Amino acid sequence: MSDLDQIDILSGLKPGSELYAIRRERPEFVEGTELCRETVLSPNHGFGLSHALRAALASRMARFIGREDLAAVYDLMLDDAGSDPDLASIASGAETALAADAFTSAIIRHADLVTETPRNGSRADIERLEKAGLTNPQIIALSELIAFVNYEARVLAGLSLLEEVE
Amino acid sequence: MSTSRFKVKALSWSPYIEPVEVATASEEQLAAMQVTPSNTKVSPYVRTLAHDPESYVARTKLFNAIMYAKGGLDRAERELGALVASAVNRCVYCASVHARRYVELSGREDVVEQIYLRGLEGPFDARTQAIVDFCKALSETPSQATREQVQALRDHGMSKAEIVDLIHSAAIFGWANRLMHTLGHSVPVEAK
Repeated sequence: MSDLDQIDILSGLKPGSELYAIRRERPEFVEGTELCRETVLSPNHGFGLSHALRAALASRMARFIGREDLAAVYDLMLDDAGSDPDLASIASGAETALAADAFTSAIIRHADLVTETPRNGSRADIERLEKAGLTNPQIIALSELIAFVNYEARVLAGLSLLEEVE
Repeated sequence: MSTSRFKVKALSWSPYIEPVEVATASEEQLAAMQVTPSNTKVSPYVRTLAHDPESYVARTKLFNAIMYAKGGLDRAERELGALVASAVNRCVYCASVHARRYVELSGREDVVEQIYLRGLEGPFDARTQAIVDFCKALSETPSQATREQVQALRDHGMSKAEIVDLIHSAAIFGWANRLMHTLGHSVPVEAK
């Protein structure tokens, strides 16, 4: 019996392939990644950052990284969580969600920045989040979400290439 | 063995936000930090991330598995993957920690000196070059990593299982750098 998870599917790993079997030799990577996904997308304590907002941000970041397939998975998660035009606009990658309040705008800006040019991050970026009203737990939860999607996209890209070589 | 005397300085890390205070931490935060209120020696990094204990615990377990799991890719080469990602993301703190661990494990001061003084373009010996090229591309823009780069790893004797470990070490530093480099900055270790 093979049991494909999101990473297998999006990496194009075939059930029964050599690479599929190799992944299962590292169950701590497979299960650990799924557990991390839960803690950043649907945590028990969301600190006021809704599951839907998290899914919309994940979709947006996946799009920016060039993984439409991953974005589509988070679009489905967003639909299940209850989307609305503002959230759909965030997920779409639109420059700014038109109706976004200052709090949400600051979050979107930060997700874009840390996804694309983490090297340029500075104290001013964190102060901007504080000024927009984010609490310390919200800043950390947002940072972990952003970082997770960037990690996941890299695992997918690497495994996809590895599945193609002999 | 290298005859280089190049040394990477030890740094510490200081957050831009107020970390959790152990004395006033919640039960869940204390459990995440694995301390009791009487034990206050917890790094600022751990206390900063303990604001969200759920993600902290899950990520720490994954991180430890990726960097320290038995078998598979040599520990030194996992550190090299971490170093390359950190250099791409210019996370000075992570780069210094993992450059020093890589040297301890491999003795390859020459590789670290090359990266610090001339960047990731090399030249390096062929196997190191293959690892650096692949991890650099994956860290910069995942879609720019190529099949040829992965083939080069295979050609230099890496098994698929070892490459899975390398992918994860570079990827988890795409994560770690995005925390360390955006939530705080490195500072020289204070003279004792």
